[in-house]
Amino acid sequence: MTSARSFVALVLVAGMAAVALFILHLGLGTVWIPPDRVLAALLGGLTDSTDRTIVWDLRMPRAILGLLVGCMLGLSGALLQVVMRNRLAEPGLTGVSTGGILLAVLFLAGTWGLPQPGRLLPFVVLLGALAGGILVLFVSSARGGIDPLRLILTAVIVNAILGSLTAIVMLRSNYALGNILSWLIGSLHGRVWDDVWLALPWAAVGVAAGLLAARAANLLQLDDESGRALGLPLQPARVALFGLAAVLAAGAVSVSGAIAFVGLMAPNAARAIVGADARRVLPLAALIGCVLLLAADLVAQSFSIRPPIPSSAYRVGLPVGAVLAVFGAPLLIFLIRRSTR
Amino acid sequence: MNDVEPIRLAQVSAGYGKRVVLDGLDLGIQQGTITAIVGPNGSGKSTVIRAMARLLPARNGVVLLDGQDIRSFGSRDIARLVSVLPQSPSSPPGLTVRELVELGRFPHTGLFGRLGAEGTLAVESALTLTSLTDFAERPLDELSGGERQRAWIALALAQGAGTLLLDEPTTFLDVRHQFEVLDLVASLCAKGGMTVVMVLHDLLHAANYADRVVVVDDGGIVADGAPSAVLTVELMRTVFGVAAQIFAEPESGRMICLPVGPRKS
Repeated sequence: MTSARSFVALVLVAGMAAVALFILHLGLGTVWIPPDRVLAALLGGLTDSTDRTIVWDLRMPRAILGLLVGCMLGLSGALLQVVMRNRLAEPGLTGVSTGGILLAVLFLAGTWGLPQPGRLLPFVVLLGALAGGILVLFVSSARGGIDPLRLILTAVIVNAILGSLTAIVMLRSNYALGNILSWLIGSLHGRVWDDVWLALPWAAVGVAAGLLAARAANLLQLDDESGRALGLPLQPARVALFGLAAVLAAGAVSVSGAIAFVGLMAPNAARAIVGADARRVLPLAALIGCVLLLAADLVAQSFSIRPPIPSSAYRVGLPVGAVLAVFGAPLLIFLIRRSTR
Repeated sequence: MNDVEPIRLAQVSAGYGKRVVLDGLDLGIQQGTITAIVGPNGSGKSTVIRAMARLLPARNGVVLLDGQDIRSFGSRDIARLVSVLPQSPSSPPGLTVRELVELGRFPHTGLFGRLGAEGTLAVESALTLTSLTDFAERPLDELSGGERQRAWIALALAQGAGTLLLDEPTTFLDVRHQFEVLDLVASLCAKGGMTVVMVLHDLLHAANYADRVVVVDDGGIVADGAPSAVLTVELMRTVFGVAAQIFAEPESGRMICLPVGPRKS
């Protein structure tokens, strides 16, 4: 749809927007640090040590996670929309969000009274997330392989089951209820460098492999017969792309909880802008995911609330997913209306 | 002319689930010719094409590509030798003609999918041959049925295979576009030296565009030869179950096969 040159320009613009938001994100907080001082702290120029501590130790992990998580969810959604041949698909349909949260709730209910179970939580969520993805894949496989429509249906059903189990466990343990809330709605509040290290490998491997999968993704977007006639092993490709989408989403969920909407919005926005070629949709969806999540988190971190739940331990920011929906949805609707003839 | 047949089916049986569709079929395709496969609905004619490209693996018997057992090829190797245009192909909304045609290079490109000089050339010439250069940047879903079908043929051409398998390429097209697509196929064969096998519904097209007509019924071949020898009143009655008149159209000499009603038994 767009020429090669205008696509490069588009990527540059989105990249610069991400960088600008990143710097703004590092500056914003209880203490405002203007961009020039943020840059000085980043590049090691003349700065006072308070600036450096705030930027590097306190705010950097959250900003980096905003970038990573947005990128992972955007790409995951784009891959999943290809595998499921459906523009309503989003990373949650891999089963990783409900799987991760169910295991987290079980863990919290089971470790009641242990000191500081919270630090283990990301690992628990990751484990549950991967298990959820495998479960969806397993249930939807049948003789003849994976069919996109059957994959969607089984994913919805598995999600419903896992979500219901979570609700039951939460009702029986209000200790779990308070701790799990920020995972349910998705938040980047209070994230530290350890969380970055947890997400980084999944992001690096998942994003690299996801972008390389563009060619296979393009053939999967055709009818089955055409894809196979061009030499693509259809079923392995479908499983691999689903696996990639699940791994990306699992990595994101393990550090941020189930952030809704970005994984639906980024790929649809990318398609509305550059058309259907996966070689453009995938990278652009990842970039748009970064920009959206950083921007939404800027808004989210400016408002924090203490949820009116008895055992709630800390203040939580506005859920990033909700901020995204409120501000991003009109933009998405505009893009889709404009691109649909 | 090459002595080795691009495709040969030897005693091939194939089917879906418990249903046997092809039963011990023998068929060799000559290099640089147009072969039309005709037959009633459900006769197994699409299955013949699917078996030729291993989209449906043969249960018994052997499929040979250029004289070699098709089982010794990888999927991408097959795609370099044989292009297939399925009966109802579909592409995602918004995909442009050029983007579609570039997918034809999949069997030739490496991990990073760079087209390279050869690939770019193949895409350009496929667009030129199908007269789609002016439409290259248009989304497929904005084109007419005939243009869209030409785009899919261009995808198959960009694949660079010597053999083209078409499954009812004229379905859903109006009369003018049917001739347009068939003329294109004929010129690919005449000028480009391509070997073409196409499943056709319309016997008139088979009679006038094919060098050879193969009639498939009930999973086997019931007639095979030059159109004028194969398409007879008798065949129309026994295989297709209709009474028909067959004659040469006075002006062009083209063969006309005119079904006039159901078979009078």
